[in-house]
Amino acid sequence: MSPPSIGLLIEITARTLAVCLPALVIALAIGLPIGIAIGGRRFKGRVPLVSLVNTGMGAPPVVVGLLVYFALERNGPFGELSWLYSPQAMILAQVVIALPLVVGITLAAVGALDEDWDLQVRTLGVPKRWRLWLLLREIRLGLLAAVITALGGILSEVGAVMAVGGNLEGETRVLTTAILMYTQMGELEIALGLAAILVGLMLVLAGLLTAVQQSGRS
Amino acid sequence: MREAAILSASGLRVELQSRSGSFVLTADALDLYPREALVILGPNGSGKSTLLRTLAGLERPAAGRVESAATGPVTMVFQHPAPFAGSVAHNLHIAFLGKKLSGAERRARVGEALERFKIAHLAEHRAATLSGGEMRRLALARAFALRPAVLLLDESFAGLDADGQSALSLDLRRAIFETGVAVAMVTHDLRRAMLLADRIAVLKDGRLAQIGRRDDVLERPNSLEIAQLVGMANLVEGVVSSERRGDFALVEVDAQHRVATRAACSPGNRVWIGIRPEHLKLDVGRGAVDLIGKGTVQGIVNDGVAVSVQIDWAGAELRTHLMAGRGLARTLEVGAEVSLSASPERVHLIPIRSD
Repeated sequence: MSPPSIGLLIEITARTLAVCLPALVIALAIGLPIGIAIGGRRFKGRVPLVSLVNTGMGAPPVVVGLLVYFALERNGPFGELSWLYSPQAMILAQVVIALPLVVGITLAAVGALDEDWDLQVRTLGVPKRWRLWLLLREIRLGLLAAVITALGGILSEVGAVMAVGGNLEGETRVLTTAILMYTQMGELEIALGLAAILVGLMLVLAGLLTAVQQSGRS
Repeated sequence: MREAAILSASGLRVELQSRSGSFVLTADALDLYPREALVILGPNGSGKSTLLRTLAGLERPAAGRVESAATGPVTMVFQHPAPFAGSVAHNLHIAFLGKKLSGAERRARVGEALERFKIAHLAEHRAATLSGGEMRRLALARAFALRPAVLLLDESFAGLDADGQSALSLDLRRAIFETGVAVAMVTHDLRRAMLLADRIAVLKDGRLAQIGRRDDVLERPNSLEIAQLVGMANLVEGVVSSERRGDFALVEVDAQHRVATRAACSPGNRVWIGIRPEHLKLDVGRGAVDLIGKGTVQGIVNDGVAVSVQIDWAGAELRTHLMAGRGLARTLEVGAEVSLSASPERVHLIPIRSD
């Protein structure tokens, strides 16, 4: 087998980002409000809920992939979507992986605020929409940790995207599945090259986010 | 003449459910007046914070109402003020979020509030790096930047040393005087209450047990428990005598010890005689006109400012204070015999219910 062309490398890298970034955005959009809601309140059933989130934070991606596979297969509850072996399926699986990470880290960040925090802001007469803005600003270090952790989690995982995406060339092949494939084929140089791209990608993204995080400390 | 009340609570009943059970707070009538500090004093668990939160509108009463005639904001400073991310000045600006004020007005108010609480030099410091005392000043400045009509304080002197408490109370009292804000502060500590109070309210087991001018509550507590809580350290049992001494009633502790009082009472009634330590006078000579008898000094503690003296009198242990380094305080020794006197105006009686 001939080594992949530069064009193919760019295509695989672009597809990796095209899957991971929407998954990250969706996970943040759903996970942040849930994390803020659970973190800032005391209610019956909170402890089991937090345990569930914590369990989800450590869920093996390959198991998540398997569950999403069952949900999307032809006879599954969402079989009619015909998403199996498509980028949509991969995004869905990665959202499921990233969501507990986002919720868990957000609720920990909100929970670390002073018990009276919300009351203190209310007694200063700050309107509701500004209270939310203030809250996000207070927990921004935790939020960035959530983003970095979730991104790292979905960018580097291979089990779930393999199970629901299938590593189809030109359709669902991403960096991790390509690395796995070339390794199994004995094409170690190509696998190493792709691995370098993946690590480089994570370095750049994490570096950017860390720069933002640290600049906000002063 | 006193101005009209700016915040009035009447017939309050607040019911709270918590893991440890239910708690009920009741308060018949409680008013806050402009330019005045009401200190709500009570032991832990007596419902102080609940009362404060109800006045702030954070708890909804099951019965009764809190009526506000305030034209300005009602705000609250918590026991553990949370610093927001950013500088001290920024923390004050946060109070203006969502309010229609010009930038110049905001900066002027922030500058004024920082000056008022003597933290203008910390304006550009990160709020998270402040000491406990500075953080309290920040929280007060943040509240005053709002130009509140009513300010509710939860243990605002807690965690400060004696000097820090005195310094903060001086600044706070001046701020109250200059702005005309009505203040209510809760505390379990009598000393801290004394630092601020114009009036005192006493909470006991979720009930507003007494409220009045500071000296009225301190000198005329209406129960033994309140007397102990407000520092009426000298409490001795006696029976009201059928004899009188001019305008004053006489209360007999035993055959040798009688105390004259202006307090209203009926002969034969059993009472607690209450005298605040600062109203019990010591003399090594023949004694003053309001002599209540002779006692023996049991103990002397001198902290450099005040000298606390314990005296055995009629089998009871009485306490009084002298100013350190002056007069009798320099010469008094344990075992000395002293004459004790108390003005009948200052001798309070609390009926002992026979049950």
